[in-house]
Amino acid sequence: MTESWGNFKSFDGKKFKALDVEFTNEVSKLIGGKDLTACFQCAKCSAGCPVADKVNIQIHEVMRMLLFGLKEVLETDMVWLCSTCYTCQERCPQGIDITDILFGLKNMAFKKGITPAGYIGARQSLYDTGRLYEPTDWERDDLELEPVPELNIADTKKMLDKTKLMKLEEDE
Amino acid sequence: MTQSYEVFLGCAIPSRFNNYESSMRAVAKELGIKLIDFEGASCCGTVVLKSIDADSWLSMSGRNIALAEQRGHDIVTPCNGCFGSLKDTDHVLHDDESYRKKVNAALKPLGLEYTGKAKIRHFVEVLYDMKDEIEKKIVKRLDGLRVAFHPGCHLIRPSNVAGFDDPELPGKVDELIELTGAKSVHWDMKLRCCGSPLLIASEDVALKILQEKMISANGAGANCVVTNCPACHTQFDIQQLGLKDDDGNSLELPALFVTQVLGAAMGLDPEPLGFELNRVSLDSINDILGL
Repeated sequence: MTESWGNFKSFDGKKFKALDVEFTNEVSKLIGGKDLTACFQCAKCSAGCPVADKVNIQIHEVMRMLLFGLKEVLETDMVWLCSTCYTCQERCPQGIDITDILFGLKNMAFKKGITPAGYIGARQSLYDTGRLYEPTDWERDDLELEPVPELNIADTKKMLDKTKLMKLEEDE
Repeated sequence: MTQSYEVFLGCAIPSRFNNYESSMRAVAKELGIKLIDFEGASCCGTVVLKSIDADSWLSMSGRNIALAEQRGHDIVTPCNGCFGSLKDTDHVLHDDESYRKKVNAALKPLGLEYTGKAKIRHFVEVLYDMKDEIEKKIVKRLDGLRVAFHPGCHLIRPSNVAGFDDPELPGKVDELIELTGAKSVHWDMKLRCCGSPLLIASEDVALKILQEKMISANGAGANCVVTNCPACHTQFDIQQLGLKDDDGNSLELPALFVTQVLGAAMGLDPEPLGFELNRVSLDSINDILGL
């Protein structure tokens, strides 16, 4: 199976269609996006990044692509290989909420169908059961733990219907 | 004064690490911390849902916070993922009126409202506040236990949200561990992410990160890894099974929860500490733990 994400592997020979200032503005409005344009490319984010040596496009390059309004950024492997460790955000000398911006990029990519398959299944579980995983009852019995408190799934479904979790996909 | 909290377990602990819950309850009981069951808890919101859709994440997480608030309780969780998700939501809803309105509109049909009264704490924060009481309860020294303590990311970063310990040089949980006579060793990769959140996107990359961590822990002379998070523990006590370096040498080290270490040193009944559910063999440290 070909992965639907992380297909943008190198800048070599890459021609970009246009610089889209609206895209930069859109990202600036995401949670944590307000200081995006303060990035001066010191690359301290990539220096502390646990996947810097495991991605094709590093996090400081992602930040540059955002300032240049290059939507192709959503196809970089950095978006989904960010482990959300917050080291870049903690250390950014410009105070940019880099990790939070990456969460926003993940949201944008997901809507376009650019996502690892695991997230599709996880979304279904979260909607259907309100949880990611179910309790292991025999272990709880062995340790004499009480049953996990009950959840009325109708409550979480009502909220997730309102936020349209199961209908995020954009019509291309 | 008895402290009481609604205990937020999340999904991973009841599913994979019931020994963490059980050992937490045993330690809490010994210290007189009252843990109230969290009725109606859903998933915390999790980085998984935050990755998919911010509005859904804030609603899912905000509902849990609002439930505790309605009942007039604060929240304690032993999971870094839940701690990070709930604290982060609290941070966003506190600072951003537009998101607060949006989430409260989603909560209204459920008869709930977020106003930010409920405090969210990690179980190790509560323990750290009781350091002196813990010290008095230590009856069995764990001399010889050389711990590679892994704080995990969301316990300490981003520090303006987590608000617990130094994000670059954390040492509070290490202090608790050293009360037992164990040594918290310095290891280069201590602050590095465990890789657990990447299991859903790329197991290969997640395992590569774990390998780097375990080479560092072994190199520092640790004889076990200690965590305070079930997501991190998934890496250290499940993915670590059979882990080798590139030359084929075993990197396996026993993985314990901080509550198991403290519970053993406090001389608590070993049954509820749940050591028999630890997957990586504890044989090499059984004598130290008194098992």
